[in-house]
Amino acid sequence: MKAPSTLSFWSARPYLVSGLALALALFFSVAVGAVWIPPQTMARLLAALAVPLDLSDVPPAYRTIVHNVRLPHAILMALSGAALASSGAAYQGLFRNPLADPYLIGVASGAGLGAVIALALRWPATLSGWLVVPLAAFSGALLTVLIVYRLARVNQSLPTTTLILAGVAVSSFATALTSFIMLRSRDELHRALAWLLGGSTVNGWTPVWAAFPYIVTGFLVLWSLGHVLNVLQFGEEQAHQLGIPVERAKLLLILAASLTTAAAVSFSGLIGFIGLIVPHTMRLLWGPDYRRLLPLSALGGAGALLFADLLARVALAPQVLPVGVVTALAGAPFFLWLLRRAKSEFIW
Amino acid sequence: MHRSGFFLTILLATVLLVACTAGGQTLSSLPSPTSLPPTPQSIRLRDGLGTEIELSGAAQRIVSLAPSNTEILFALGAGNQLVGRDSFSDYPSEALQIQDVGGGFGNLDVETIIALQPDLILASPLTAAEQVQGLRDLGLTVFVLPNPLQFDDLYTNLMTVASLTGRIQEAETLIVQLKQRVQSVDEKLSGIARRPLVFYEIDGTDPNAPWTAGPNTFIDMLITRAGGLNFGHDLQGDWVQVSLEEILRRDPELILLGDAIWGGVTVEAVMARPGWGELSAVKNQRVYPFDDNIVSRPGPRLVDGLEALAKLFHPDRFQ
Repeated sequence: MKAPSTLSFWSARPYLVSGLALALALFFSVAVGAVWIPPQTMARLLAALAVPLDLSDVPPAYRTIVHNVRLPHAILMALSGAALASSGAAYQGLFRNPLADPYLIGVASGAGLGAVIALALRWPATLSGWLVVPLAAFSGALLTVLIVYRLARVNQSLPTTTLILAGVAVSSFATALTSFIMLRSRDELHRALAWLLGGSTVNGWTPVWAAFPYIVTGFLVLWSLGHVLNVLQFGEEQAHQLGIPVERAKLLLILAASLTTAAAVSFSGLIGFIGLIVPHTMRLLWGPDYRRLLPLSALGGAGALLFADLLARVALAPQVLPVGVVTALAGAPFFLWLLRRAKSEFIW
Repeated sequence: MHRSGFFLTILLATVLLVACTAGGQTLSSLPSPTSLPPTPQSIRLRDGLGTEIELSGAAQRIVSLAPSNTEILFALGAGNQLVGRDSFSDYPSEALQIQDVGGGFGNLDVETIIALQPDLILASPLTAAEQVQGLRDLGLTVFVLPNPLQFDDLYTNLMTVASLTGRIQEAETLIVQLKQRVQSVDEKLSGIARRPLVFYEIDGTDPNAPWTAGPNTFIDMLITRAGGLNFGHDLQGDWVQVSLEEILRRDPELILLGDAIWGGVTVEAVMARPGWGELSAVKNQRVYPFDDNIVSRPGPRLVDGLEALAKLFHPDRFQ
């Protein structure tokens, strides 16, 4: 790869650009929505997040909308985007396959199955079981990855090919089961479909607090393995000879990526393409060094998902499109355009 | 590095585009309900999720999250207390004038709901329990109206909504009328010699395996009450996909096209389907387009559905 030679590992520029894009995305996510809020009021509501302000003259509805609807939603989207993009980058590095995405080894299908089972069981909503669907999705995702991992283990090692094959097989099975359960349900079908298309059914701060620890912990583990991912690009044998505990690193990478992805999809629904497009875009823009690629993918993923979500919310307002539809519709052509533009330099 | 510059330009262009297309109504342009507050005493009721809901008085700014709820509110004369409705609420036509708050394939537009400052959100089991909880967390009052299984449950629901909206008298009058109409159908059907087998098509997109209504659905309940025998009555599940072979084997006497209203399925289209010409219902021209909304929305129009079905099944009793 022709590394951008002017950039050293610690160069601040990529972070500044990505950080600025994310800040812009965050700002617009909070500022723009189905309900128009006067700019002055908006400015005060935003300032009130940082400094104590007397907001008694602001209509309570505006305060609720900005502080308890838009802000937690934006943060959840940013966290999910960061989780999907950084796990995508990690998986592409781990499997040395540019087509790997965060869902490769069954997180998505497992989460889907968990969610649909919870919906079909008509969990007693009376028991205030309101986080049941996300929690079921989360358990389904982790359980599926665990099964795939166990199936793919040969003696003490984890051959990548076996892992991918086991992942594909278990995913197909889980997806078939999901379809079967959905076809046998009634009202739940609608909810399940919305969730599978990338719609969240929960709002407010609770999902943010629920997803935050998993996503942050998982990301930090991935980031700490940036160097390992760099070395893994030379092949597992070489990495082993260079003193990298390959099997343990693999296990850690898979666990961390699955944890972040599971937390993201459980609360935000199945969102495609972010985990594929963002890491590649970042790679094209700033080079393949994983120590930098992982945090940049997280920043870029957060920003990209926020923009996609913004489009989803305003395009057909007051109808809300599932954000997964937007990421697929906008993401794929953008990626192709980027790919063609940079074709001469694109050596994966 | 001009590539990153281009990237930023794209980002900014997107931002501007989005900022320009965004919009909606402001708080000041809220429609204000015109009706008088009927009863200023507090109301305390348990909803379909088992939550106790308390209102300080009859609700004056209601958001309905289900077509059935919207139809109930209008039937009780509380339509002018409605300030928001879900996207599917299209009946009566006055409902279309009311602010749409989403509820399609994506999610509810929570912002618009908050901006409408409702004192009551009337939800149904169509709304996810998580979403109900989310709305309650925002300080909104949500009452989940359970789905009725029988006409008696429908009357209970009508009384519940009447209590919440201060429309008790209207509800009592409406219930008497509905009960009379149901009783009249029962009387006309008393002593029927036989029950025709009825295939109710919910979705015939795949003519070799159309969907029909299973047991424990409103459609099944209404077909039975209207003196028919529902094809899907002994099948498993609410929505059931059955093979054309099974339809040919059982050979239903009537075919009702519930997908006529949303799927544009016509009698001619059914006659043209391969294999369907063999069915007695097709040969005897007893295939009818049917307004699915009057049998699938658990509101007062279920009685319309009952009457329409009974007339189709036993025309001789309704001359």
